[in-house]
Parts: sequence; structure tokens; C-alpha cells
Amino acid sequence: MAIFRLHIPMLDEVKQKGLRPALKDKWVDVVTRVTAGLSPDDMRGVLRDDTPGRPNPRLTPHAEGFWLHMKPTYYHRMVDGLYPTFRLGWLSTFFGVFEIVTGIYLMIYYTPSPLVAYENMLNLLSNVPFGQVMRDMHRLAAELMVIVVVLHMLRTFITGSYKKPRQFTWATGVVLLFVTLVLSFSGYLLPWDQLSLWAVTIGASMVEAIPPEVVGRNVNLLVRGAPEFGANGLLRFYLLHVVALPLAGIVAFGVHYYKVIHHGHSLPPEAEKVGEDTAKRVPMDSRVYFMPQILTRELWYVSGLLAILFAAAAYLYNAPALEPHANPLITPLHTTAPWYFLWLQGMLKVGDKVVWGLIVPGLLTGLLLVLPYLEVGPSRRYGDRRIGLSLAALFVAAMAMLSYMGTPHYAVSTSPDQEAVAELLPQTHPGPLRSAPWEDLAYGSFEASAWAAAPNATLQDLLREFDDVLTNVQSAGRTDVAGVMVIEDWQTDLKKVTLRVTWTNVPDGTAGEFSQSVYLHRNGNYGEGA
Amino acid sequence: MSDAGVQTAPGAEAGVPLSRREFLNYLWGASMAVFLAGGGGVTLWYALPRFREGEFGGVFTLPITNLPAPDSPPADFPDGRFWLVNVGDGTLQDPRQPKDYPLEPGVKALYKVCVHLGCLYKWVPTNDRFECPCHGSKYLKSGARIDGPARRNLDVFFVEVLDASGNVLSRSEPVMGSQEASSVVIPPEAVALRIDTGRRVTGASNSKPGGGI
Amino acid sequence: MKGQIALGLLAFLALMGVLVLVGVGEPNRMAEFTAAYDSRQIETGASLFEQSCRPCHGPQGQGIGGVAPALNAPDLFDGSRLAAVGFSGTLPDYVRGVIAAGRPVPSAGTNYPQRMPTWGAEYGGPLRADQVDALVAFVLNWEGRALAGGSAATPAPTGPTVGADIGVALPAGDAARGKALSEGGLGCTGCHVLAAVGPSWPADGGEPGVGARAETRFQASGYTGKATSSEQYLFESTVLPNAYVVDGFQPNIMPQNFAERLSAQDTADLLAYMLSLR
Repeated sequence: MAIFRLHIPMLDEVKQKGLRPALKDKWVDVVTRVTAGLSPDDMRGVLRDDTPGRPNPRLTPHAEGFWLHMKPTYYHRMVDGLYPTFRLGWLSTFFGVFEIVTGIYLMIYYTPSPLVAYENMLNLLSNVPFGQVMRDMHRLAAELMVIVVVLHMLRTFITGSYKKPRQFTWATGVVLLFVTLVLSFSGYLLPWDQLSLWAVTIGASMVEAIPPEVVGRNVNLLVRGAPEFGANGLLRFYLLHVVALPLAGIVAFGVHYYKVIHHGHSLPPEAEKVGEDTAKRVPMDSRVYFMPQILTRELWYVSGLLAILFAAAAYLYNAPALEPHANPLITPLHTTAPWYFLWLQGMLKVGDKVVWGLIVPGLLTGLLLVLPYLEVGPSRRYGDRRIGLSLAALFVAAMAMLSYMGTPHYAVSTSPDQEAVAELLPQTHPGPLRSAPWEDLAYGSFEASAWAAAPNATLQDLLREFDDVLTNVQSAGRTDVAGVMVIEDWQTDLKKVTLRVTWTNVPDGTAGEFSQSVYLHRNGNYGEGA
Repeated sequence: MSDAGVQTAPGAEAGVPLSRREFLNYLWGASMAVFLAGGGGVTLWYALPRFREGEFGGVFTLPITNLPAPDSPPADFPDGRFWLVNVGDGTLQDPRQPKDYPLEPGVKALYKVCVHLGCLYKWVPTNDRFECPCHGSKYLKSGARIDGPARRNLDVFFVEVLDASGNVLSRSEPVMGSQEASSVVIPPEAVALRIDTGRRVTGASNSKPGGGI
Repeated sequence: MKGQIALGLLAFLALMGVLVLVGVGEPNRMAEFTAAYDSRQIETGASLFEQSCRPCHGPQGQGIGGVAPALNAPDLFDGSRLAAVGFSGTLPDYVRGVIAAGRPVPSAGTNYPQRMPTWGAEYGGPLRADQVDALVAFVLNWEGRALAGGSAATPAPTGPTVGADIGVALPAGDAARGKALSEGGLGCTGCHVLAAVGPSWPADGGEPGVGARAETRFQASGYTGKATSSEQYLFESTVLPNAYVVDGFQPNIMPQNFAERLSAQDTADLLAYMLSLR
């Protein structure tokens, strides 16, 4: 007779030691296993910042656990604070994780189809609690991440931390920069409003210009899924944004961070002898341990950043309000690329599309990648690298100037009468007319030059602004420039406002005219920013 | 590095007094826990689907003219997935009605889904009852089950009767210990009915042959 | 380091405070956004209407007799048009269906010579679904005014109309006024300028404008009308459209009732404008 006997080890312990001690021992055992080496008393010691015993239990989670296996157990005292790294690498990682989390929240309410994407955005903003703040946080963190990543690259250059043996770390960093920029660019398309469609169209049209023509055409088809952006393009950009690029980013980050830890955080340049790299050999008295010092510091950064980001997104920052639904047949006047690509737009205005849009940026990227293998001077000290640092400063200044040149107001305008009307009635944001209080738009016909006689302050301001921009229409070729604003009652709570500019052409005395109308509803709420 | 005056040997026992640092750390941890809990609540609120007026899952407001006459066949509202039934004297005196369930005159909004296994039952005028095509459960206009494998009466949606200024004149009340909802009386000033398809009241148990508990 | 712990604690407390503050305001914010967006939909609908619907339905939705029904009319909103046409759904569904799918067959009880075209992209038209929705919102926004009086088709002019005798003498015409008339409630531009239903008025491709063509048309062989001058030819084309139908176009499409709708001065102005289109 084989009797199946149930053997519960826990009960044996209880019998041996008594119930309470057995439970306590079990608890200690579970905690030590879950934390990969820290008993409850050790944890309490960490919280109290007590001197650890020997062997130091706080090293075990790093050695035996998964989550801390790459994190160093101690940092050098000279690199644990804000200088010289400003923790920008850490900050970049923080933003990356933040974007993944907020992105997942947004994914719950988004479908990447032109038929519903815009409606999904409207739903998110109108029918989902915390929907607007979630979108604003995602957008804010995205823009900040681009800035932080670039600053991190600048810092690494300035402190010469790309030099031997860290050259490949720098190269993976360039890959991460590329991933960040394309992540931002691909996400830009997803709301599927006019800004999304046209900003991304402008950016992606570079791809079409790749010579030879057959390559450019096919790469364009691959990227957009069609000659122009539509259902295929949106889906491909969505997949890039939520699958391909995050995966590439995580892999590249893994390599990057492993290399950073493997070589150790490089010390400030003045702290080492020229050509030496002592980052891994940290003397005992210069060690700042992860538990509790660095851990506390990092948790504090997380707390502070979360609070700032949330408050900023809730009260200070609003993602650009949704423009009208994407319309492949109409390009709004003064459409602009995202700000981190303005430099590219600026370059395109300098000259040929292929040279300045593809070859030069390609060369720049290539140069960045191989920089550490070209610039092999042994010293990281600022004084020994005056040329390099000056070049970096020049590069930053050039990017800034190119970015300014990339803005729509530089060297891009249509006829002055259309520009005049677009001052009051812009095509990319509400503008003064739409934001004016609806009630103050009295019915009637108002001449711009007679702005002082308008019935109320709102109309006076609008008409005076109109009158001011009309002076730009006056020129050698045009005289007798006049502007008129007509406000009509169109439907219940709906007014029709027409702006008309008339002039006389000088050489032949013919009359010229341009007018544009807009319909304004009482509750359009443009002044509120949402 | 430790707090002044509270030096202890490593691996101190639980009897050691709390240092300020430790206490602050616990508070911080507590605040993180509360934040996670709050964040969880916000996540739930964010992620739970919301239904607008007129969408199934939301509220349907109907003018009182949509109500069928008492004892007439039920009115079909496929968008809201309910039948609107007006229980009159004829229904009250229907000999097939099982005696176990209180029944008053008024309006009921019966959920179209059969309480057996989820098919949509049909109204059969010749037999003056609902019949489910899947396994043959049969129900009266009042929602009471009279035959078939279903084990309870039909589920109803919460109904409110509104007057011209939107005040609630009468509403469904739970009877039989919060199972089964009463019919809603229509006062003369009634102007609209509001049926909330997000609130469903389960029918009372009903498993005897011919209906009954 | 203690400072970091304390600040971290404060940060989380602040974070939760912001969460609560935002959460409390959310229902209001969402309702405001919904109201704002519904209003902007009407604005979009208004400008779409101006581009696509005005030529046949008139700028204020008052319709054009013989061309398209009034939308700004009480019978649309009080249920009688739906009943007359036999539609059993809701008014928004009716309006959306008509705009998106057009009218391949005339509605019951109506006799418009022209079919309403399809506008919805799924039926081959130029408008996306959200644009159709915007138009629906705009049309439905006429409810208040329509029920308070609205308008049927453009009313017949008071006073004598020009009649169908093309030999009658007309007063001097003002081409500018004629242009305004053609773009307003009469609906000429809908078929003769903005679409190719009838012969194009302005010069088109190799063809000269209607004023120039009128000079030779009435003398060409195949002409079946009675005009003896270009002005009479255009007069006849307006009040007796079936007298001569240009090759490639169909009879009975142009409204036959302009003789009873136009005054003599209106006719003269229109003819002056048409003659100026070379």
C-alpha cells in the first residue's frame, strides 16, 4: 500500500521553533529572496543609512539580481552629482521611460487609420478623464527629450568623454540620437491634423530626393506606403513609433549603458592625468554607494521630475491645439516643420535639395559617428582642446542660425495682400480674429482706415491691426490700398466675417482684390487655447 | 553618515528606535504608495469606457410619446438593446403570470438579451409572449419567465420618468431584496423617459416549471 | 541626503495635489471641449456649404425653384418633409444620407430635373466622412430659424415677369447686376459656371465665352429656334430652353419657368452680362 504522505516543510519549522518565530523567519527568507540578497534588517539599515556590515549585503542585489545587474554598486565621488554630467544621460533614460508609459496610456484610445485617428484625438480630449493632460505630458516630454539628448551629446563632447576607450559608446549614442529624432518625427504624424500631415510631408519629401531617381522613388514608397501619406503611411509610421524604434532604442540603450558601466563614468578632465583613464579604479574614500546614496538621489529626481512634468502639462504647457482634419488637397500657409528639424528646412533654403537636404546632413551624421575615431588627441582637458570646443560652439551657432532660416517667416511669403489677411486669419493657429470675444463682433461693414470709429475696443484693435499690415501691401506697384471687414449674421450663433483687401495696380490702373471669409460660432472657444 | 547619536551595530534588531532619516524614508515610501494607489485610480478612470447619450451603455432619453399604450405589444429600441413595455391591467391579470413576483402597472425596459445563454429573444404576437429561438425560453410581457431553461426573469434597465424641467418624477425601485425592479408609474406631468443602459437590474430567480421560485 | 528625502516626499505630495486638482476639473473641461468642437464643426460646415452647396441650394439655404429644395425651411425640421418623402429614420440620418449618397432617383413627390450628386467619399464623392458630418451639423443649425419662418424657394418677383415672347423689347441691361443675379438665388452658376451641366458661360478650353458663341450660333445650320440676334438667342435660351438644345446637351434639364420668374430688367441685366462673356 503506497500511501501518499503530504509533507509541508513550513509545518515542520513551526513545530520546531514555534509559530511566531517560524513566521518571522519565513518573512525574512521571502524578503531576502525577493530583493536578491537584502534581509528586512539590511533594508532598514539602508533606510537609516547605517554602516553596512561585512560582507556588504547591499552589493548582493547587484551581483545576483536582474534589475540591478548593470547598475554600478558605487560611483566616484566626483561624478555622482550634477557636475560634470548634469545627469543628462540619466535624464534621457528617464524621459524615455516616461514616454513609454504615457504612450501606452495614449495607445488605449488610438487607432492608426485616417478614418478615425483624428476622431480618436477628439475623443481623447473630450471624453476621456485626464486625456488632455496625458497627451500634453507625452508631447512635452517628447520635446524635452530631444533637448536633453542633444545637451547630453554636447556635454559628452565638451568633457571629451568620447575618447579612448569610449569611442563605441559615443557611436551607440549617435544611434540613440537618431532613434530619438525619428521617434519624435513619427509620433508627429499620428494626430492626423493639418499640422501633422504637412509637417511630416515636408520632412519625408527629403527621402524622395535621394539620387538616383529609382532609389528615391522606392524608398519614398517604402516609407510612406504610397506616393503620398495616407492610410498606409499612417500605419507604417505608427508601427515605427510604437514597435520598431522603441525596440531599436532599447537594444541600443542596452549596449550604450553596458559600455558606460563597463568603462565607468569618466572623471572630470582636470581630475586625471592626460591620457589616463582611471574611472574604474575608484579609491575606497571616493566611493559613493548606490544604496542608499545614489538610490535616494535618483528617486528624488524621479519624484521632482514627475511633479514638475505633471504640473507643467496641467497648467503651463498645452500641446498645440488640434488643427483641422488633415486635408491632402490644401496646404496651410506658413506650415512649418517641427522645431528640431528647422535646421534641415533652413539648409534646404540655402540651395539644391539633394546637396543640402541629403548629402550634407548625411555627411554630418557620418562625421558624428566616426568623430571619436578621428579626433584621437589624448587630452580631455578644456585648455588642450580649444579648437574642438570652438568648433562645437560654431556648430551650435550654425544650427541655431539654420533653424531660424527654417522658420516660415524667413524668405517664404505669398503676395502681400494674402499675407495681410493671414495676419488676422492665420491658417496654422487661431489668430486675433478667431480669439476675439464673439459678442464684440458687431454686424456691419468696417473700413480698416476708420478703425478709431469702430463701435468697441475689440473691433478697434482688430481693425487697427488690419490697417497696420495693409501698409505692407502698399508698394511701387500698388496704390489706393484699402481694407474692409464685413460681419454678417449667418445662422443661429454663427457670424460670417469677410476680410477684403482692394488696391489699384499702378501701371495699368486695373483694380485688384483679395478676400477671405471665415465663419465664427459663439462657442468656438478659440481664445481658450484648447 | 548615520544620524548623530543613534549608532548601532550592523544588522540591528527591530528594537532599535527610529531615526529621523528612516522615518522620512518611510513617509516617502508611503507617499509613493499613495501616489501609486491614486495613479491606479486615475488609470481606472482614464481607461474605463464612457458612453455618451444615445450609445448603448449610456443613457437614452425618449419622449413619452414613444411609450406604447398599456397592454399593447412592446416597442423595440435596437440601439439601446431594450424593449419598452407598458404593463396595464390586462397584463396584471394574465393567468400565465406566476404569483411569486410583485407586479404593478407602469413601464419597464426589458434587456433584449435572454438570461439563459445570451441570445436575443423575439416577440411573438400570436402567442402574446417573448420566445427565445436558441433554447426555447419564454417570457411574458412583464418580463416573467414562464417556460424554458432560463433560471430567472428578464433583466431590466433602470428607468426614470422626467417632467418638463428635467426633474425625476418616478424611478425603478428594487423589490424582492434588490433583485427585480418595479414597473415605473407614469404621472400625468411626465414628458420624457430616461433609460440608463449602464445600470441593469437582474431578474429574480425563477426556475419552477410554468414560472415561480 | 536627508534634504533629498524630504523634498522627494514633498514632490509626491505636490504631485497628488495636482492630480486631485486636475481630476476635479475634468468633467467641466471635457464638456467645454465637446461644446467648442461641436461649434467648430458648424463653422467648417458653413464654409463647405458655401463652396459646394450654395450654387443649388442658395446662400441661406432657401433653395432655388426648379433646382433644389430649401433647407432653411420649417417642413424639413417639423417632420413633414420626411413624411412626404417616406423616410422613416431620424432627421440627422436623412440629411447625412442625402449628402453622402446623393439622389440617384428623385424623392417621392418632387420633380427636380437635376439629380443631387453624391458627396460622400464612400460613394465616389469628394468629401470625407467628417466633412459630411460638418455639413450635417451646419444644416441642422438652421432649425431654430427655419421653424420660426425660414423660407421656401426664392419667391417669385412682384410685378410683371418678362414672359416667353423673345421679340419683346427689353430695357438697357447692367452687366454687373446681371453677374450678381447669376451668382445669387437664380442658380445659373451652378450649371453654367461651376459645373458642366449646361453650356459653359465663360471661355472654356478652345471655346469662346457664351457672348461670343451667341453671335454665330443662331445662324448655324441645325438651329431650331426663332432668334434673329445674339441677344434674342440668349433670351430664347433662357425662357424657352427646349427651342434649341446645343449638341451634346440634353433637353428638359434647364428649369422651364424662367419666363415666369424673371422681370424684364432682370432679364436685360442677365443678357448684358452673358453678352460680355467672350
